[in-house]
Amino acid sequence: TVGAFDSFRFVIKGSLAGAAVYVAYDQGLLGSGTQGAEALKKAQAALPPAIQEWTSYVGWQVRTLPATPKFDFSPSDSWNKGVLTVMSALSVAPTRACEYTVEGWKYVKDLVK
Amino acid sequence: MASEGELGRKWDRCLADSAVKLGAGLGLGIVFSVIFFKRKTWPITFGSGMGLGMAYSNCQHDFQSPYLLHGKYVKVS
Repeated sequence: TVGAFDSFRFVIKGSLAGAAVYVAYDQGLLGSGTQGAEALKKAQAALPPAIQEWTSYVGWQVRTLPATPKFDFSPSDSWNKGVLTVMSALSVAPTRACEYTVEGWKYVKDLVK
Repeated sequence: MASEGELGRKWDRCLADSAVKLGAGLGLGIVFSVIFFKRKTWPITFGSGMGLGMAYSNCQHDFQSPYLLHGKYVKVS
């Protein structure tokens, strides 16, 4: 009976593990890049209602979460904007440095007068 | 859709897919660790690594298309 119990336990464990793998496969988590990106979008869309439901179930008073606008979040867009900002700042840096130096010099001269 | 935005879109897809694959690998690693391997750490690491590997492969395929060459075996009769 111990052997039977062990086999039964193994079958249960195997079924659970197999079910987990099947669910992952079925949701498109193990497929191509496009499928993965779509699965992420679906998860992001399903997140706020799920959080809302969970917090109301637990009974916490949560002020409406700031509407997460991250559904259209594009890392490449943000990266490109960041690069443009940094480069334009670098391009005006020498001019600004000269202006600040002149102002600073004038300030010091006024102090010394 | 501008063609110069295509590379950006590919990067976005790649990053999104990497996040999904890492999460899935981590999750399945945790499941296997708890069910079969007495809560050891290595299945979790293994699963995450597999997820990252799958994501890398997908990204590589995405970036290399449409110039990816597929070999075809043609039987000469």
